[in-house]
Amino acid sequence: MSQPEIRILLVDDESAIRRALRPPLTELGFEVVEAIRGEEALQLLRASSFDAVLLDINMPGIGGIETLRRIRAFAPRLPVLMLTVRDAEDEKIKALDEGADDYITKPFSVRELIARIRATVRRVRAPARAEDAPIEIGDIRLSPAQKRVTRRGQPVHLTRKEYGILHCLMSHAGRPVSNAELLTTVWGAEYREEVEYLRTFVRQLRKKIEDEPSSPAYLLTDVYVGYRFVDAEMLKEQAEGADHAGDDPFEVLHREQVD
Amino acid sequence: MEIRRLPGALIPLRITFARGLHRGWGLKVLLFVLECALGIIGVVLAAALAHWFEWLLPVAVLIYLAIVVPTALLCGFWQAVIVSLSAVVAQSVITARQPGLNAAADPANTITLVAFVLASLVISRLSASVNRNAREAESRGEQMRDLYEFTRRTLAMNLHIEPGQQLVELVHEIFALEAVVIFDADLHQTYQAGFWIQDPQELAQNVYYFETADDDPVTGIGRRVLRLGNVPIGSLVVRGETSPLTNNAIASLIATTFDRYRAFANESQIETERRTEQLRATVLDSLAHAYKTPLTAIRAASTGLGEMGRLSAAQAELVALIDEQAGVLNELTTRLLTTSRLDAGEVAVNAEPVGVRSLIDEVVNSLKDRLASMKVSIQIEDEELELSCDRQLMVALLTQYIDNACKYSIFGTTITIAVAGAGAETIFSVHSLGPEIPPADRERIFDRYYRSSTSSHSATGTGIGLAVAKRAAQMHGGHVWVSSSDADGTTFFAAIPTPVLQRS
Repeated sequence: MSQPEIRILLVDDESAIRRALRPPLTELGFEVVEAIRGEEALQLLRASSFDAVLLDINMPGIGGIETLRRIRAFAPRLPVLMLTVRDAEDEKIKALDEGADDYITKPFSVRELIARIRATVRRVRAPARAEDAPIEIGDIRLSPAQKRVTRRGQPVHLTRKEYGILHCLMSHAGRPVSNAELLTTVWGAEYREEVEYLRTFVRQLRKKIEDEPSSPAYLLTDVYVGYRFVDAEMLKEQAEGADHAGDDPFEVLHREQVD
Repeated sequence: MEIRRLPGALIPLRITFARGLHRGWGLKVLLFVLECALGIIGVVLAAALAHWFEWLLPVAVLIYLAIVVPTALLCGFWQAVIVSLSAVVAQSVITARQPGLNAAADPANTITLVAFVLASLVISRLSASVNRNAREAESRGEQMRDLYEFTRRTLAMNLHIEPGQQLVELVHEIFALEAVVIFDADLHQTYQAGFWIQDPQELAQNVYYFETADDDPVTGIGRRVLRLGNVPIGSLVVRGETSPLTNNAIASLIATTFDRYRAFANESQIETERRTEQLRATVLDSLAHAYKTPLTAIRAASTGLGEMGRLSAAQAELVALIDEQAGVLNELTTRLLTTSRLDAGEVAVNAEPVGVRSLIDEVVNSLKDRLASMKVSIQIEDEELELSCDRQLMVALLTQYIDNACKYSIFGTTITIAVAGAGAETIFSVHSLGPEIPPADRERIFDRYYRSSTSSHSATGTGIGLAVAKRAAQMHGGHVWVSSSDADGTTFFAAIPTPVLQRS
């Protein structure tokens, strides 16, 4: 437990899930406080400080999304990780739009959960990066000042839109960016529905920055939700063979079975 | 009335007589006698006048004719004959003062009589035919009205129940028939209304089996075969006053109503099936969701134990087993969710460019454990090929095919996964060596919950996977099929449309 202790608020109405998560998280260096409902979570958050919130989307009462909205009203930078189920893509997108930092799909492994929490907390704790400071992740380096991208030192020629997408994703590295957010940032609000545009450009972009565009290592797809650019930690984990990039629980599951 | 219609014919007379017995016969006879009496009085008066004024015979005959003709016109043939006879008798008795017995012997009298009778005959026939035409026109109008009413009522009929009894009662009521019977060959049901002396069931069935269609004017029975196009679907027998044309019209209206009923029943059955399917999808959906929470807890607990370390090798092995089996359960519930949503038509194809190579690699990689005991051969015609498809759905499809191949193939043999272009389609195939799938099962194994008779006792399975594969292909505008023989093994195919740009 080299990292300083992380204080987590776990909000889930299912006691089985709270009971299952508390021991391993405590053991692995987290301080866990439990809340059964959104209302209770809000009270606890006002009373003391936390490093991260694990927030179930489907809860009785005000529910996860509304709780998130109210949290954001007084704690805009508090890391919030949503617990969702597969096939609830609309909820995931809504959660991202409301300012969730990430989401994780049930059922998840503890290792994946911890990796996500740490990544989120790390992102928030990282010193604010100057707007024009170059971003370097793995072999890819992006210099906003010159609007230049290099890969292993070699310049990569990107169109303006491709650069826009990459810049948006890399400046939020590790965090999922919804299709609508990307489209709004790069094209403008009136294009927020044109997901097909985005797909075409992401495909081109992958051909230029990925070794294997069909199984990307940097620019990952969050199925139905959006895209995310890996951060340095995720890349390191990938290299170690413990790949937690996929959001498909089965992908992770199968890989863990193989391990 | 009958006398006027068929003068001189004895059989109708007898029928009239017989029918008259129970139709106010006395009144008719009284009327007949009254008419004759009036005519005779007129004739006697004329004879008396002729005698008084000593008219010549032609003048007298004209006056008699003036009495006979209206009698024939207004009253009928027999009344006219009697009046004619009385005229001849009166002429000979009063005017010629000849003794009654000799009157008949006079050829002049005989000729006069014959002339009178002939005149009455012609006139009464003419009159009867005019009357008949008028009556027919009137009854045709009535029948048209009845047919219109019948059509209207059949259209408004409640088709939730079998229409036979409703129809038979309608025909009986609207056309004022003595008796009606309808035979529905499809349901093998007879419906009747009114009083039948013979067994109506037999009557109607005979019409259907021997395909007789006729109208008997003596008995008033009309028989029709009910047809849809050329196909006989039943029969209709009526007794009463209708015309052949009306019977034809009734028969085709009944046939149409039967047809509408069948179409309606069929439609409601499809609707019912659709609703049942929807309900089942909803139940499966909530069930699958209900499984997610315990599965999440189990998985969190087992992976948590693993992460915390300090487990002996044996303990770690057991924890891994719990995790693995929770994964299997989760996969099952996800499949259930996917099928139920596919069936409910809730899933939209999220098409994106998918590299065929990476798709196959992903699936094979995810099934590494299962494939460990098998040899795997991958043959991709065009490594660069990209399809526009829903990656998740295609993964589900191929996972199912390969999983299936693992389950039903001979241990240690080769599973061949191939991708090849064929015209406008890309064909994925998974071949394995194993027992033949009986021809009868080849279509049905793609149906949900159907498991081949040979498979149900030899391997584990839920019988939902191939249904997912089928729906996944269909949602891409593709299709699935299987070929199988003992010698060549079994190959599952899925054809997915290739995007235009990629076609060579």
